Order: sequence, then C-alpha cells, then structure tokens
Amino acid sequence: MKDHYEKIGTILALLLPLLFVFRGGYLQEVTGYVYLFLIQGYVAWFLFFKSGQPFFGYSVTMAVGAYGTIVLTEIFGWPILASMFISSVFAPVVGIILFLSTIRARGFYVSMASFLLAILFPKLINALQDITGGRSGLYFSGVTAFIGYKTLYILIIFLTAAVAAFFLWIMGTKTGKILTLISENDRLTQAVGINTLKYKIIAYSIAGFISGLGGAFYVNYTGFISSIDIEVFTTLYIFFIPLIGGSKVFYGPVLGALFVILMPELLVPVERYFRIFFGLIFIVVIVMLPEGLAPNIQKLFRKIHLKKT
Amino acid sequence: MLLNGIITGLIMGGILSLPVLGVAVIYGITGIPNFAIGVIGVLGGFVTWYFLSFNMGVAIVIGIAVCFIIGYIIQRILLTPISERGGDSTLFFIITVSVGFVFEGIIRAIFPRPNISLELPRIGTINLAGVTVEGFKIFALLFALGTLVVIRLLEEHTEIGKSWQATSQNLKLAKLIGINTNRVFSIASGIGCALACVGAIFWGSLYNLQVSTGWDLGFMGFIIAVVGGIGNIWGGIISALIMGMVMSFSGYLLGGEWQSVILYFIVILVLIIAPKGILGSERSL
Repeated sequence: MKDHYEKIGTILALLLPLLFVFRGGYLQEVTGYVYLFLIQGYVAWFLFFKSGQPFFGYSVTMAVGAYGTIVLTEIFGWPILASMFISSVFAPVVGIILFLSTIRARGFYVSMASFLLAILFPKLINALQDITGGRSGLYFSGVTAFIGYKTLYILIIFLTAAVAAFFLWIMGTKTGKILTLISENDRLTQAVGINTLKYKIIAYSIAGFISGLGGAFYVNYTGFISSIDIEVFTTLYIFFIPLIGGSKVFYGPVLGALFVILMPELLVPVERYFRIFFGLIFIVVIVMLPEGLAPNIQKLFRKIHLKKT
Repeated sequence: MLLNGIITGLIMGGILSLPVLGVAVIYGITGIPNFAIGVIGVLGGFVTWYFLSFNMGVAIVIGIAVCFIIGYIIQRILLTPISERGGDSTLFFIITVSVGFVFEGIIRAIFPRPNISLELPRIGTINLAGVTVEGFKIFALLFALGTLVVIRLLEEHTEIGKSWQATSQNLKLAKLIGINTNRVFSIASGIGCALACVGAIFWGSLYNLQVSTGWDLGFMGFIIAVVGGIGNIWGGIISALIMGMVMSFSGYLLGGEWQSVILYFIVILVLIIAPKGILGSERSL
C-alpha cells in the first residue's frame, strides 16, 4: 500500500512544475529540459534496468524522432503531428535492427554495438549536412507556431507524467513481469517456455517509440537541433539519469534527471572546473552509493523519522 | 593514389595502434575496459607541449611519466578495488568515462588553449615508390611497431612480463605463488596510459591536439582493439593498420566527413559478424 502511495505521489509530483507556467521565464525553460530528459531517463530505466536489455543508443532513437519530425515537415511538407508520430514509430526500428543483428553476441558486446551507434549517428548527421545541417543545425518553429510555447510546456509536463504512469502500469502487467524475469534470468525464462525474443522486441518497440516521441517534442521545444545535441555524451547523460537517481525505485529517474540536468546549472559559477566536479560526483555516487540517490535519501528520512519518534 | 592511400593508412594506423596497444595491455592483464586512457594520454600531450620550450626530450619524458603515474594511481585506488568487489564491464565503462570527464576538466582548467600543435623536429622527406612521405610519419609508424616488439619482448623475457602472463591467465593462482597482482595491474594500467600519451604526442605533432581528441583516441583505441580481439596485442595492431587504411581510402573517395562514419559502420558490422574480433580474444567482455 505504501509503495502504491509512493508511485501515485511521484506522478502527482511530476505535475507540480505546471505552477511555473504562471511565472514563466528561466525556471520554466529549464524545467522543460529536465522533463524532456526525464522522458529519456524513464526509457533507459525501463529498457536497461527493468527489462535487462544492454542498450546505449538512447540519443539515436531520440535523434530519429527529432530529425524525422523536421525532415518530414520541412522537406516533405507533411503535417507536423503526422511527422512527429511517424518519426516516433520509425525510431524503434533502429534499436530492433541492432538487437536482432547482435542476437548471437552477449552482454557487453551488445552494449558496445549500441554505444558505437551513438558515436556513429552524429558523425552521419555531419556527413549528411546538406539535409541535416550538420553542426550548424536546423531551426524549426514546429507546433509552437500554432499552440505557443506555454501550451507546449504544459503538454510536455503531461506527456512526462503519462510516460511515467505508462511505465508504472506496464511493469505491473504480465508483459512487465516477464520482462523483469528476463532481466533477472534470461535463460531460465526461456527454459520455462516463454518466447523471450517476442518480449524483448516488445520492450525495444515501446522504449524506441517513447524515446522517438520525446525527441519529436524536444525539437519542437528547443526550436533547433544539431549534431552537437545528440553527441555520444547525450546518451551517457540519459543513462546516468536512472543510474544516479536509483534504478530500483520508481521515482529514482526523477531525482536523477534533476541531478544530471540541474547540476550543470548549479556549477555555472565554477564553469571552468565543471567537468572535474561532474566526473567526481559521478564516481563518488557510483562507488559510494551503488543503488543511487533515491534509496539513500529514503534511508536518511527514515533515520530522521526514527530519531523524532 | 592507391599507393598514397596505403601509405597514409599505414601511418594513421600506426599512430592509432599506440592507444590500441594501451587498451590491449590494460584489458589483456586487468580485464578492465578503460575508456579514459585517451583523455589521460591527451593530458600527457598537453603537459609535453607545456615543457617543450625547455627541452624536447625532458618534455616528452615528463608527459609520459605523468600519464604512467595517473594510470598507476587510478588502477590502485579506484579500478582494482571495484574489480575485487565484482564490478562488471558496464560498471567499468561508466566509471572510466567519469574518470575521463575528470581529466578532461583538468585539461580545460590548466590549459585554457582549446587546441595545440606539438612542434617536434622534422626528419625531412622519404621517397617510397614514387610517393613522397614525411620522414617523421615513417618514424611514427616504425616507433609504433617497435613499441609492439618491445612489449612482446618484455612479456616473454622479463620477470614482470611473466607475472603479467600469470596474472592474466589465472589470477587466483598468481596470487597463490606470491605475485603482487595489485602491483601488476597498476603497472599495466600505467603502461597503457603512457602508450596513449605517446600516441597523443604523435597525433599532436602530425595534426592538432584538442581536448576532444582524447575521447576520439580512447573510443577508437577501444573499438579497434575489439575488432582485433580485445586483449590480443597482435590482433589490435593488425586491426589498427586495417582501420587506418579504411580511414585513408574512405577519406580519399568520399571526403573527410565520411571517414569515421565508414570506420564505425565497419566496426559495428565486425561486432555483429565476429564479436570476438579478427584474431579472437582469450578474454571475453
């Protein structure tokens, strides 16, 4: 029951930034970024940590959604919503092809193949600069031209809460339970007669679609995308979100996204030493708090509560 | 054009083979994939550049020594303890990338210049079957191949080399017969980072050395090592030379922007078709 309250509480808490709509400005803008990365963070939480699929190509699926939206809208003249949807549908194809190709390989080799794809993709975008704009990027007014920036911000907040609720729901279904089983013991799951391939493809499809949709919203919100936005470090930051926040707890990615996206903002006064602090904090958290921030914050609150009582 | 492409590719592969050798030595002995060695190597390149005006030889020695010490210390205080607690490849990937962030930050904080060029003395030009090649480039290639021979000789004929072999083949047995495996790991890590530094010095002398070059050298070093069969030194060198030629020809035929696209595409294909690399690997990731 307590766990149930925790999950509902997380989803309701995700709606809190709606209050910034009245305030606007910098805080609203940054919160929008945090939420866009939180969507990707939840994708990593679901695919890597809950379904046990060693995938590192989150920036690629996100980029397919983002670039697909621009190319279909600007070059092919498709309606914006149709472009966003079709790009999001196409995004999982990349992950699924890579997964099926590396089916003979195991563990870290699969991680590496997807990680190499994350390195390759921005280079491909640079090579195709006549279409993609390469490092100079592409500007895009997108849906903001019709609905305005504030409405898009509200949509992103609701989308993030919906994505979190969806992942929460799916992990409670038969599919989610089988995926948990696969992540814990793939061979055993196969041995009891479950078609693990089917469930893994389902996991890649869901994750890819949501990541692509997040990418489509990202490019609408930022109004610009270049190969620099989807560098290999983007995939690492996305992966760090559930890892730092805590992958075992549902609200872990929320803490992770706040940490990973807001930390650079807090370190602006010491910008010159930013990477040193950033790297050191990652090392300290991974080594000292291997379960991530969330369980340790929980423990801290429990200790304070016990002291009071 | 064909001969020119082959020579350019061999030289590029020769320089790349140094960080590849670094990855192969570290992974072959410790079993840890270290993605930070490229950035650490570039830090050594920047240190060398800083001292270059005093004395070239001393500057190079200082750069290499700094990298060796950093590699030694990181292995000793961070990577070996995590390995003893049962850390897997994914964890090492994340940890070493974070270590790379720290050293990237250190380079940015100490050396405000975004890119440097190491001006080492040129040897003149050599004519190879009608193709004029800079002597320094030939020296870089020969140096890389010479380093490989030295490492192999070290491995086969010295006490430390034998303890490397014992540690990489059976850690528990190596500990039982009294080998200080922690020291062996740390020295291997130090040598790996020192090799990456030499690669960075050559790179900085022939092209430009930027902070981001460290990541390129580290990631390329790793993937080329994977293609050769990670931990397999000969495989790594052959793979580096092949990849150097792939980069050279794709650059000639398709343009510079496509060089790394083709390279990474081929590497992904190799990972899919032969995950254990060209010559295979005794260790598996």
